[in-house]
Amino acid sequence: MSVNQANASVHDKTDIQLSVRNLCVDYITSNGDVRAVSNVSFDIGRGEVFGLAGESGCGKSTVAFSVCRLHKPPAFISAGEIIFNGKDILKFDDEQLRQYRWKESAMVFQSAMNSLNPVLTLEEQFCDVLLAHTNMTRQECIKRAGQLLEVVDIHPSRLSDYPHQFSGGMRQRLVIAIALALNAKLIIMDEPTTALDVVVQREILQKIYQLKEEFGFSILFITHDISLMVEFCDRIGIMYAGELAEVAPAKNILTKPNHPYTEGLGNAFPPLHGEKKRLVGIPGTPLNLFEVPVGCRFQARCPYVKDICRKEYCTLTEVAPGEFSACHLHKDGIVDIIALEKQPVQG
Amino acid sequence: MGFILRRLVFYFGAFLVAVVINFFLPRMMPGDPVDAMLAQGARFTAEQIANLRLTFGVDQPLYEQFFTYLGDVFTLQLGNSTFFSNMPVSEVLANAFGWTLFLTGTATILAFMFGATLGILAAWYRGGKFDSLASPLSLVLQATPQLVFGIVVLFSLGVTWDLIPISYAYDPELTPDYTSWEFIKNVLHHAVGPIFCIFIVQLGGFLVPMRNNMINLLNEDYITMGKAKGLSNIRVMLNYGARNAILPSVTALSMALGFVVGGALVVEVIFNYQGLGSVLYNAIINRDYQLIQGQLLIMTVFMLAFNFLADVLYVFLDPRLRKGGK
Repeated sequence: MSVNQANASVHDKTDIQLSVRNLCVDYITSNGDVRAVSNVSFDIGRGEVFGLAGESGCGKSTVAFSVCRLHKPPAFISAGEIIFNGKDILKFDDEQLRQYRWKESAMVFQSAMNSLNPVLTLEEQFCDVLLAHTNMTRQECIKRAGQLLEVVDIHPSRLSDYPHQFSGGMRQRLVIAIALALNAKLIIMDEPTTALDVVVQREILQKIYQLKEEFGFSILFITHDISLMVEFCDRIGIMYAGELAEVAPAKNILTKPNHPYTEGLGNAFPPLHGEKKRLVGIPGTPLNLFEVPVGCRFQARCPYVKDICRKEYCTLTEVAPGEFSACHLHKDGIVDIIALEKQPVQG
Repeated sequence: MGFILRRLVFYFGAFLVAVVINFFLPRMMPGDPVDAMLAQGARFTAEQIANLRLTFGVDQPLYEQFFTYLGDVFTLQLGNSTFFSNMPVSEVLANAFGWTLFLTGTATILAFMFGATLGILAAWYRGGKFDSLASPLSLVLQATPQLVFGIVVLFSLGVTWDLIPISYAYDPELTPDYTSWEFIKNVLHHAVGPIFCIFIVQLGGFLVPMRNNMINLLNEDYITMGKAKGLSNIRVMLNYGARNAILPSVTALSMALGFVVGGALVVEVIFNYQGLGSVLYNAIINRDYQLIQGQLLIMTVFMLAFNFLADVLYVFLDPRLRKGGK
């Protein structure tokens, strides 16, 4: 398999905030090692919102956690580079890593309910991170914490409250406020709104977007909700079985998919406008990573599968300006999905 | 403060039940104090026996004894000991109380401090060398009867190597003087063996639950968030992990402290230590009803008091149990 993949980048070198290069993450299990993330490469520009989407278990959260080196055993990063502002964070020692965390890249976790420490007051949870990274006095920390609360529309007087005294949506805003504490340049959001209802979801996303415009940080946004992502992100990477299947601008991803898997995902979501049409799922089940086939990982579920897909691995390649695909059919630029749709080749 | 009031009502009920049980339990044993004296070779005439029974009050019907007892409990009269030459029970217990509090209390608090700390470390470095050694070992220690430890320590340290005294709380030739360093040193020297035996058995009881609890907590998102915040490992381990994991251990500690006045009966008997455990042992052997009742009463009160303390402390430690917040 080629190491010199396309970097799925559309940015100038100077404009890149985070660059993930051929990242491989393995899980060591008693049944053998599993490569949960395989040769994933992408760049995130300054102020850009980059989305990673895919079904459960495709490795998107593993990528997110790797970017902060927060992956837990049995996972370990077996190859690749994660370049942040020109430095490979995989080479950081413990102290460098500690300083990098939150100061450079902060994280908003999936479950707002559980990501705040239940026995510490908010003040304590703001102050510990501020004190760990800055020379501020405690008084200054409290003042800063109050300002941050105001940013997410929560009254500063509530600093002395405990997490259980807030609603789910408020807690997620609190976590976002903590994420903003050190003006991190990248905020990783691992399904930040999954645990919330759609109304609160929208409220949170609007808040995040507004803050991003204001503070100019980049976002790595992880979700399995593609329609949400299309609205929110600048560019999207679609992951399947630990690999990037496609990277493309958000506006194109559903209308002009460059990978049969993306197309399948698009078909599985109801359109907001236009006539109702029957939703089509993707046949089959996600790939068992213990049984990775030769060739394309999506071959068993792909409606357009060809002989070459069963023989040759396809690397992520630029198929159109700013659009990358890991599909043989798109790579050569000879196959038009629309044409294929008329005569689907049954796998 | 409805919470505290409700707890107090509950504890009063529990106290009443315990008081009743404390009365009937010793009397369910075969024989009475006079029988016990006779069994130990005392020779009395029939008249003397009748007189003794009259003095001890055991000639009356059980229900009459019971009501007398109830009245006495609530007027705080514990009666006289039949075994310790008619000394007031309160005096017998008071003499032993301090020794037991010192012995078992020290051992329990040490066991909690070491057990919780080692449990936290074992959980933090789970699967590592320390964890794979300490955790199974403390299970074994916890499951070993104190009798076994007591005898092993007594014979090895006490007899074979002659490092520690094998009997008494202090050298009987010394006059108790709590201001003299000489005497205190002697007391400490005498306490090493028994404290170690109680400590080692209790250690696992604190270590293993603390470790397991902490391991469960380490998977919580707020732990990951603590690490993601770039806090030092110590801070994440203590403020985020241990601070949450210690909650159930606080209950365990209060329970253990409640048991403290029960004395470590086995260890006290083995080391011939003059604590409440020895007193209870002698009281049971000699069917000294008043003394047994008195001792059980102290245990009841302590148990309930420390349970109550745990309830209150829990509210203090876990903000989620506080109503209405600040």
